[in-house]
Amino acid sequence: MWLAQSNINPDNRLKSMNPFLTEKHREVRRSVRAFCEAELAPIAKDLDQEARFPWEVVEKMGALGYFGIQVPKDLGGAGMDSVSYVVAIEEISRVCGGMGLCVTVHNSVAVHPIMAFGTREQQEKWVPDLAAGKKIGAFCLTEPNAGSDASGIQAVSLLDGDHYVVNANKVFVTNGGVADTCLIFVRTDPEAGPRGISVIVAERGAPGFVVGDLEDLCGMRCNPVSSIRLNDCRIPAGNLLGREGMGLAIGLAGLDTGRIGIAAQALGIAQAALEEGIRYSKQRSQFRVPIAKHQSISNMIADMATQVDAARLMVYRAAALRDTGKPFSKESAMAKLFASETASTVTDMAVQIHGGYGYSKDYPVERYFRDARVTRIYEGTSEVHRTVIARSVLGKF
Amino acid sequence: MGIHIIVCIKSVVLDAPGGKIVRTPDTTTINPFDLSALEVALAARDELGGTITALSMGPETSSLSLYSALSMGVDRGVLLCDKTLAGADTLATSNALCAGIRLLEPYDLVLFGTRTADSDTGQVGPQTAVGLNLPLVTQARDIVFQENGLEVGAECDGFRQRFAVDLPCALTVAPEAAKARDASLGGIEDAFAGSIETWNLERLGLSPDQVGDAGSPTKIKGMTPASKGKQCDFITGSIEEQADKLLEKLVNAGLIQ
Ligand SMILES: Cc1cc2nc3c(=O)[nH]c(=O)nc-3n(C[C@H](O)[C@H](O)[C@H](O)COP(=O)(O)OP(=O)(O)OC[C@H]3O[C@@H](n4cnc5c(N)ncnc54)[C@H](O)[C@@H]3O)c2cc1C
Repeated sequence: MWLAQSNINPDNRLKSMNPFLTEKHREVRRSVRAFCEAELAPIAKDLDQEARFPWEVVEKMGALGYFGIQVPKDLGGAGMDSVSYVVAIEEISRVCGGMGLCVTVHNSVAVHPIMAFGTREQQEKWVPDLAAGKKIGAFCLTEPNAGSDASGIQAVSLLDGDHYVVNANKVFVTNGGVADTCLIFVRTDPEAGPRGISVIVAERGAPGFVVGDLEDLCGMRCNPVSSIRLNDCRIPAGNLLGREGMGLAIGLAGLDTGRIGIAAQALGIAQAALEEGIRYSKQRSQFRVPIAKHQSISNMIADMATQVDAARLMVYRAAALRDTGKPFSKESAMAKLFASETASTVTDMAVQIHGGYGYSKDYPVERYFRDARVTRIYEGTSEVHRTVIARSVLGKF
Repeated sequence: MGIHIIVCIKSVVLDAPGGKIVRTPDTTTINPFDLSALEVALAARDELGGTITALSMGPETSSLSLYSALSMGVDRGVLLCDKTLAGADTLATSNALCAGIRLLEPYDLVLFGTRTADSDTGQVGPQTAVGLNLPLVTQARDIVFQENGLEVGAECDGFRQRFAVDLPCALTVAPEAAKARDASLGGIEDAFAGSIETWNLERLGLSPDQVGDAGSPTKIKGMTPASKGKQCDFITGSIEEQADKLLEKLVNAGLIQ
């Protein structure tokens, strides 16, 4: 039996609750959510506790195109737009922040720079395996003495015949423990300051390529974040991405895109915390009523829902701008700042709503709380993001 | 060439808040009982080559279930959509599906789920097979393609049956037959780059009195939510006695064998 009529045009954005989403994006959400709830949700807690990287899920994600979301079809990707990408990252992160991190870093700061700055030959060499999830990508910028100030890196790479000899000590490399294809930021001209920075693609297994110990992290624990060292590592000159001296430009372009992914990740974690907060507040009774009937709790739920909604609109707007080829730097910075701060606030409120149980590993909100915290730190801290946004708002004066 | 499989799918309502059925993209989804039929079709096509057409009757929102099917790898989606089709009972639904399937000739196999999540009659598959004069096996669990037909295993009332069936034929596919694959992101991209064909009554060559409310001998007189009466029994005795009594109750209720 069916009675009501409604007009559905797969591209009718105005009819949907979110003006940036088409029916295709909703299908992406349905499909990624179903996959993550079936494959990741049952193990997310254990992955966190055991700090285990779920290869068995990664393999399936690879087959479904999660590791090449925006890679064109002819290179083995799914050929999707940025909005699809953020929806997928949001849904993965809603279930498991650490896997959201793996997928977003791989897609946006490892694969994307190769697509944007690599030659066709380089793309054909690296991208199909990356897009299929057969190889995992990493972005190696941070060093012990260079974090927010990327121009302070000390890694060097000197040409010797048709090879570069690379010496680098990179820390906090997301996916470091499992990555095969690593974008290494180095100085090819130690005299040239920021203009002497370049990006070289190093492959695991090259002599002198050493994966350091995994970080014992507060959250995102299933992601094997590690240091990576290159000791007199000889890398073919053909592995230079773009030209010598383009390193910072490549890094900034990667991070512009990467921020949208981190913002989507924060959004997914916040959404999970909101859902748990709502569920628990209806189910837990104190003073003979469900705690959601206490105004302090319902006010928290209202604030959480409002902030998550605002974050979602900002994240999707940044992605939609990118899809239409318009400048999106400021909007992606704002989305990253707001979504990550929202994730911290909302997960904190979710813990508060759960009372003592929220502080116990029996409930997932303490994991969300730990996972959310780092979204304010990596791919540019909140402080650095405020500087970027202020510069763009204030202009020159 | 390969085979041509038609899979009939329905877009079902997930939720009826306040007892009101509203069909929006968020309140409808592909009937979960149709997923195994889709998977059986996809696996057969992957092995033997050919094409799969997903066919659905419903309002425009139903096109989303067809897009879901395309995302999984179905080749073509056809929606039978017309104001006059609304309010159909199972017979009127079968009439429309028969007309749609005839327009999709030639075909080798027509697949259905065993039932739907929102009506649960199980009638549409068998009625459509009768309407098309096709041999039918219900509750199919395993399907083997042979030289000039199928060998189909089914399970019913605790018995396993095996049938040899000529093609073309119709099957209702049990949920146990196959676990549906996940749509890949590339599959979703391809699905939405294409489109769903929409056929109206004129295209089907039917008259308004054969379909929809007008063509439905069944009239629903009323619909109220069934009250979920819960009954609580206390089982007494020693632990062993309690376990025995519980076992007996469960066996008598047909819940375990
Ligand atoms: C889990 C995890 C994964 C990571 N993954 C990667 C990765 O894959 N690749 C990679 O290259 N890096 C990665 N990082 C590193 C991350 O990007 C850096 O930690 C981050 O950029 C901050 O650098 P820092 O830790 O050296 O802090 P610092 O730069 O030393 O900052 C310390 C404090 O000073 C503030 N500060 C610094 N400069 C300014 C300024 N100019 N104005 C105002 N405040 C300022 C910061 O906001 C911060 O509060 C990861 C980090 C973590 C924790």
